[in-house]
Amino acid sequence: MKTFISRATLALLITVHANLKAQIPAPQPPQINNFVFGNGLTSFDWTPFPAADSYVISATSDLNLAMTPDANGSRTGFTWTSTNTSDVQFFRLDTIPLDTNAQLTASVLNRLAYGPTPHLLDRFSSNSISDFITEQLAPETVVENSTLAHTNVSILQGKFADHNTYMQLEAETGPGSARLKDLRAWHLLNAVHADRQLLEVLTQFLENHFVTQFTKSRAEIGKFFQESQMEERMAVSFEYREIDLWRQALLSPACTFRQLLEISCESPAMILYLDTFGSRADKTRIPNENFSREIMELFCMGVDNGYDQTDIEQMSFGWAGWTLEMVELGEAFNPFAPRATTELNPGLGTSYTNLVGVCAFNFRSEWHDEDAQVIFSNKFVPARFGKPWVSGLYGNATPGLYQLDLPIRTGTNAVQDGYDIINHVADLPFTQEFISVKLCRLFVHDNFAHGYDFTSPTLSPEGQLVKQCMLVWETNSPKGQIRKVLRTIFDSELFQSQNAAFAKIKTPIEYAASAIRALALSTNRTRLANTFTADTDGYSLIVPMSRMGSMLLFDRSDPDGYPEHGQGWISAGTLAERVRWVQSFCIAEGLSGHSGNQNGTKNDALFTVCDPVRLLQTRLPSPGDQLDATKVANLFLGFLYPGEGAANLEFYRQAAVNYLNTEDDGVTPSNFNLLIPSNSPGTAYDTRIRGLVAMLMSAKRFNEQ
Amino acid sequence: MPNINTTSRRDFVSRMLTAGAGLGLGSLLNIPPFTHQAMAEGSIGANGKKLIFLFLRGGNDGLNTVVPVGDPEYGPNIRSSTLIPSDAGTNYSETNIPCDFPVSGDNPTFAYQNSIRVGNGFAGLHPSLKFLAPVYNSGDLLMLHRVGYPQQSRSHFDSQIYWESGVPNDRSVNDGIFYRTMIESGLAGTAPLTGVSFQQKLPVLLQGPDAAMTNLSDPLRYNLLGVPNDSGTGILKARNEIDAAQNYQWANKNYRNLLDLQYGNLSNTLDIFGGIDFTETGNTFVDDENTDDGNDPYFLFPSDKDKNGGYTFNNNDGNKFVVDNTSQSRSFFKNLKAAALMLNHTDAIVAGTEFTKFDSHANQGGVDGIHSDLLQRVGWAIYSLRKYFKIYGKNGTNPSAGAKVSWDDVVVVTLTEFGRTTVENTSSGTDHAEAGVMFVAGGGVKGYGKSGLTTGVIGADPQDTFPWVTGPTGSMFAVRDRYLERVMDFRSVLGKLIRNHLGATQDQLNRIIPGYTNEAGEHLLSGGLVTEPVEAQGISTNIIGEPDLLV
Repeated sequence: MKTFISRATLALLITVHANLKAQIPAPQPPQINNFVFGNGLTSFDWTPFPAADSYVISATSDLNLAMTPDANGSRTGFTWTSTNTSDVQFFRLDTIPLDTNAQLTASVLNRLAYGPTPHLLDRFSSNSISDFITEQLAPETVVENSTLAHTNVSILQGKFADHNTYMQLEAETGPGSARLKDLRAWHLLNAVHADRQLLEVLTQFLENHFVTQFTKSRAEIGKFFQESQMEERMAVSFEYREIDLWRQALLSPACTFRQLLEISCESPAMILYLDTFGSRADKTRIPNENFSREIMELFCMGVDNGYDQTDIEQMSFGWAGWTLEMVELGEAFNPFAPRATTELNPGLGTSYTNLVGVCAFNFRSEWHDEDAQVIFSNKFVPARFGKPWVSGLYGNATPGLYQLDLPIRTGTNAVQDGYDIINHVADLPFTQEFISVKLCRLFVHDNFAHGYDFTSPTLSPEGQLVKQCMLVWETNSPKGQIRKVLRTIFDSELFQSQNAAFAKIKTPIEYAASAIRALALSTNRTRLANTFTADTDGYSLIVPMSRMGSMLLFDRSDPDGYPEHGQGWISAGTLAERVRWVQSFCIAEGLSGHSGNQNGTKNDALFTVCDPVRLLQTRLPSPGDQLDATKVANLFLGFLYPGEGAANLEFYRQAAVNYLNTEDDGVTPSNFNLLIPSNSPGTAYDTRIRGLVAMLMSAKRFNEQ
Repeated sequence: MPNINTTSRRDFVSRMLTAGAGLGLGSLLNIPPFTHQAMAEGSIGANGKKLIFLFLRGGNDGLNTVVPVGDPEYGPNIRSSTLIPSDAGTNYSETNIPCDFPVSGDNPTFAYQNSIRVGNGFAGLHPSLKFLAPVYNSGDLLMLHRVGYPQQSRSHFDSQIYWESGVPNDRSVNDGIFYRTMIESGLAGTAPLTGVSFQQKLPVLLQGPDAAMTNLSDPLRYNLLGVPNDSGTGILKARNEIDAAQNYQWANKNYRNLLDLQYGNLSNTLDIFGGIDFTETGNTFVDDENTDDGNDPYFLFPSDKDKNGGYTFNNNDGNKFVVDNTSQSRSFFKNLKAAALMLNHTDAIVAGTEFTKFDSHANQGGVDGIHSDLLQRVGWAIYSLRKYFKIYGKNGTNPSAGAKVSWDDVVVVTLTEFGRTTVENTSSGTDHAEAGVMFVAGGGVKGYGKSGLTTGVIGADPQDTFPWVTGPTGSMFAVRDRYLERVMDFRSVLGKLIRNHLGATQDQLNRIIPGYTNEAGEHLLSGGLVTEPVEAQGISTNIIGEPDLLV
């Protein structure tokens, strides 16, 4: 990247020598501003360029001669000041970005994982980050050691009951004893410690995409159980069972969207959440439209994308009778199983609380209308999709027609209506488009939306990427393979370029997990429990996530899920909470502000702790280095802001060095190199380093990924 | 070779349009946050007038809010568990009388089990809304029925955005109607506070690219702490760091403008909020009259169990709660109080909060139940806001120190994305539908008894210009045989308030609500027959234009 400027003519010559492919918009080249000369000085400044590692200013008085670095000037941030004031003088600004592997490493670790760790940054400083993409796309090939990284992980796993296990509803330990906080802690610990990071990211994505609500499950269960802890545990098991099935499905190389959708449709949490539970279509009654609407609007096709109100009403008949029952163990996937009869305490009756069984999807044919229904009647794939979609066959003889006929079905045969809908909707072009859009928003940036004209010669790069995802979805067998779609995204120029880098805002879970990971070095490299320089018990993140924008995991009330876009998370109030939390996290455990009370409300960090001095000492073992403010600043800037070039971090480095050389009062100068390195809470050195890290993490930048 | 690689705004827009969907087109208004033109125009923010918005999210069931008692089809044919019965002994068809304020039995607060007679000869109020009666009878409340917009979306998310952006059926507009109003005030770029909300996140109503509005989920925690501690030094250092970092330049990225604006907003507003007492101890605001024949006045903002109606005055009697005693309800009234305090004590022009959980697909309830609890909050919120400003506002009977606003300067308006199906579903609930109900309250509102008016209801009356048609083929079934048809556009309501109350000029309003004076198509100003292409094919709807809202 070279930017020419000429003082002789005061004209700007901006040249881009970047290696960028057609169509993908390149970052704006630096804009030269405030070109002034006089009083023996020449100066100008420019707008920063993404990932600039250094800026070099060259000059010549004759354009026929080579330009040479201007030895008469110096750079401060994005300003050049030179004593070179001869009458005719040309200047050139060279921008040298960070190497592409380092840039991409930051994007990959921020998107396919919950942020970089010192270990991963180490590994990919000398290895290609594409290795990480490949292994994370095949999680079954990655050894999962999260149970070794924190003892809580295996303790918590012992509290979950899958769909084949009887729940110990009244026990404090053992399968089924998990409460909501346990599930959340487990999920958060996995985000921080899992080796299969992409699997965790996708788990959160699916949990949020096929959103269900713990509170609603509990309220409905309450009508049968009337014992609050048992209700809670049952509701938690519904949430756990969904993600357990999704995670198993994702471990299979050919996992399809249809499989994931089916898991959601059969999930007790979903059946309760969107009211198919009590929906009946037995002639005189109008079935509930809630699930019918949202499966199209939110889970598959996208709002107003290929369906209308008539389709919602027609489809709602198909879901009538999809309800729940407590059935015998082993019958969780038999929708016709009768109610369990095995009594926990024989003789105490067959109330729900005394049945040994599992609460699962159950089909009640008497609630189902036997009549035929027509969904998407006479609807054709719109021309904007182009081939192969407009000419595809969607269960009809006529190409492009995606009408779905549900025939007259009686008795238990009628359960097939729901599966017909799942099979039909899962791979419609609208679904391919909407799900691809959502995945692109998750991994690339937020400016994707359904409704593209895929036939347009001027289709945007975003539209083209969505189309590529859809082609991979459509043309492989089986259709809708998630890994192939993800691979398409990760290989795309949009993902690999600056278009994706730092283009997204961290959600609260991403913010909190990435803060811990950034400082979490296993001091002896074993990555065993209690060797990390930053850690959490999982539980302590629950309240902060609520404060940073009401991110209540597994308990979202609205069916659209938590937003990906930054406007949904960033306001003065949530920023105050983010800043408070990182500061509290960095305050040493036991000191005021880390936990305890302030203004009547508890402080944030609790058992989320860090020891940045230990981290520093592991990486900078020489005592001299530990007292070198610039080295210390660079070390932490490297952990927190990889993917940004050194030149662009200059303000932060300067502020960090100043910080290290200032007393706790924020005013009095204090020589950092005279302090005594120590990680004891309350010592000057420890406090200084903690304050430095807190300052860097409180910056606006840390909200980006 | 030199390769000038820039993207002009026009290129950007045309590329986006080619893409077929409005991708991230930020703002409707291409004007800077503060312009000389805006400064010279109108009097938004300068006339002392303020507005409180309350968004009822999820789609409030308008038919069970302002009940069409006079429509014989509102009955067991269409509703069972969600039916609000009418009282056999009450003549609902009597006109030109005040709204009833029923008090009965041991549990006077909400013992009444029928529609409350409003007194316009047709409508009833859900009994949980009984505290709207005194507001209505003072002339300070209007009930607007059959409010919606053309091509009504039945998606929560689209419809909420349409209500908030003020531009229905265009998802490319991402900035809010009150955001644009604040921009037109000319103050958004200079005053630290113009629009404020107290809820989970900044609503689209206040979102926009060129100026930061403020949202707090908990004003009590709106302060900093920092290393080394949570007292003086730590707070000061954290504050200094944030201020200093404001000056660090960075390359352009998607969210850097947003982060710059909102970090700046954080810096600029910390001290303002720090100067207001949001604590529970400071919640001393009480009514100036006793309710339920009790001996004590109720607290206006029941953000605590002890402050919830007559509970503590009656030996902790759970029947004397004035709103449901849940954490949700308490947190709502905390937010409502904060919004009231902000308007009374700062120069903020618009403030608001939201109710959630109106999406009553299942087990909605009738006289009692989930929806009833929500309506109790709505009724008491409007009642208490009026009392707060009449007592503690400027020129009030017991004004707070530094009070800036009187009830005459305030308008409260409720929004909701749609009404619900006329007919109950099998889950004892109602589904997404079309037109719904808005409430508008304020000292300057032109309601019952003012200017000789005999009613404060618009849109729920067979005597209206476009009357409520009764029966199985009437207004309740005019859309798809199961939805209430609109007779008023919500933009006409908000437009009237933004111009005549907040002080926008008509030109400003035309920028805030595009197409406002397009009488050939939208009819927002003067009303008329709306047909395609504004409506969907084959549909035409008579609407009344701007309702007569203000004295």
